[in-house]
Amino acid sequence: MTYRSSRSALRRLGLAAALLALSMSAAGEDAREFTAAELGRIAAHGPWPLPWTPDPGNRVSGNAAAIWLGHQLFFDRRLSANGRVACATCHDPDLGFQDGRATGRGLATGVRNTPGLLNVRHQRWFGWDGGHDNLWSASLRPILDPSEMGGSAQRTASVLRNDKALACHYGQAFGKRPHASDPELLVNVAKAIAAWQETLVSPASPFDRFRDALARQDARATVAYPVAAQRGLRLFLGRGQCATCHAGPMFTNGEFGDTGMPFFVKPNGVDPGRQGGIKRLLANPHNLLGPYNDDVTRNNATGTKFLRPEHRNFGEFKVPTLRNLPVTAPYMHNGSLATLRDVVRHYSELDEDRLHADGERILKPLKLSEEEIDDLVAFLKSLSPTIQMPVLAKPATLSACIADEPNARKPNDRQSR
Amino acid sequence: MTGRFCWQGVPIAVAMSIAAATAHAACPPATVDGAVVSKGELVLAYRPVANADKGAKPDRIPMAQHFALEVQLCEKGAASTARLHKADASMPEHKHGMNYRPVITSLGAGHFRVEGMMFHMAGRWELTFEVHAGKETVRLTHDVQVE
Repeated sequence: MTYRSSRSALRRLGLAAALLALSMSAAGEDAREFTAAELGRIAAHGPWPLPWTPDPGNRVSGNAAAIWLGHQLFFDRRLSANGRVACATCHDPDLGFQDGRATGRGLATGVRNTPGLLNVRHQRWFGWDGGHDNLWSASLRPILDPSEMGGSAQRTASVLRNDKALACHYGQAFGKRPHASDPELLVNVAKAIAAWQETLVSPASPFDRFRDALARQDARATVAYPVAAQRGLRLFLGRGQCATCHAGPMFTNGEFGDTGMPFFVKPNGVDPGRQGGIKRLLANPHNLLGPYNDDVTRNNATGTKFLRPEHRNFGEFKVPTLRNLPVTAPYMHNGSLATLRDVVRHYSELDEDRLHADGERILKPLKLSEEEIDDLVAFLKSLSPTIQMPVLAKPATLSACIADEPNARKPNDRQSR
Repeated sequence: MTGRFCWQGVPIAVAMSIAAATAHAACPPATVDGAVVSKGELVLAYRPVANADKGAKPDRIPMAQHFALEVQLCEKGAASTARLHKADASMPEHKHGMNYRPVITSLGAGHFRVEGMMFHMAGRWELTFEVHAGKETVRLTHDVQVE
């Protein structure tokens, strides 16, 4: 949006707010009269969904055959060492592709909360520490991690080569049957799984409808947005300063921060957060500076190329998106906060002594009242859609493989093979 | 998610009129979509450009997205040998800088490109340019409000 169009949108939002206030006043509601500045900030959190563009680093991004292959592999337990753990074991579709646990549990219990996967295409860094700069690399790691799936390139390649349907879909996606080396097949499997995850976009939420109603000056439609959520929105934009980091349509700036959460992990360990993530990223041959990046220009590697490690990175964790929170509890990098109310209370009672000496200076305890906490929670809940995610339909172009896959997963089949 | 760009340096129109009054018409540069800052005889003009993978269209500084700067240096009334040595930015109220370390490429004839910039938070950012002019090091700053 250009500056001119932004100003125009502001004017429209201002008029819409006036109409909204008038309408709600007439209806006897507790009208929220947003200022022009607030309206501009509300507009900046949309529109939703964002335009989808293929990932230039993944040559099968947006490829229907790859998406279908990735969908099958995402639920395939054969990729794990004991044949009992799939990607979907921790990334449950019914929980926003999270698992509902404080920390993930694959072959062993981990130390971090499993991130949800909805809208993952729009992220810059992957994992709580940003240890990956691309989705396919982030999808490859759990397959190999001994505490998650414990698989290997050899096992993955074997599954792919020996399953006629998977091999057929692989051929359709990559233009050749899976005869490449095991490491190359592993990367391509990860790229197919990434292509599937890129399709996971959450529908518009009540907030999105409110924001859009303001933009098109539809005062009647704005009334449908709960007044408590409107009060919470004002706090979010204003005194709470939440939008400083939870910015834009994704409600995250995609970067990292220390918000006073403990970084100690049992037993006697420390999670270095972003500091460790940067080290892992730069040592990873699957990062965007490496040979597996399909973008020959390397324009998509800007973030990795110019990274500046800082002392303050210790204990920093990724600023998570705030969309779809009600289905992705518990919260924070260590899953230590069970409810959204706990999260808001954390910021209300923030322990400044715990914050990094070199860290963010604007973080202060919000000292919210119980009513204000209720309002912020109402706002956060309004960032979740009220309708189900659409299920994946098999593209017609893949019919040639149907004879090979009598046991293929159906769109609503949640059982892993 | 782009931010409004509030220019607080030398107004471009004023800079342009200074240019017309000097013997060296190219100083300050004929910038129409950027900002000009100066210190003594040294003039620096810059404009943000979106990162190449977002399209190379000149634009305002986007919030939480990578961008590059095109920088031009000149000295009033003299042939300039000024060289851009360092470019960086910080948020004074937040007491931190960027998460990325920009790299400067000289394009010749006083032109430079700064890549790897990102303003990852809304608020006031202070851009800092360190210029080597002769034996002197000159520091120029410019405030940018990102929303």
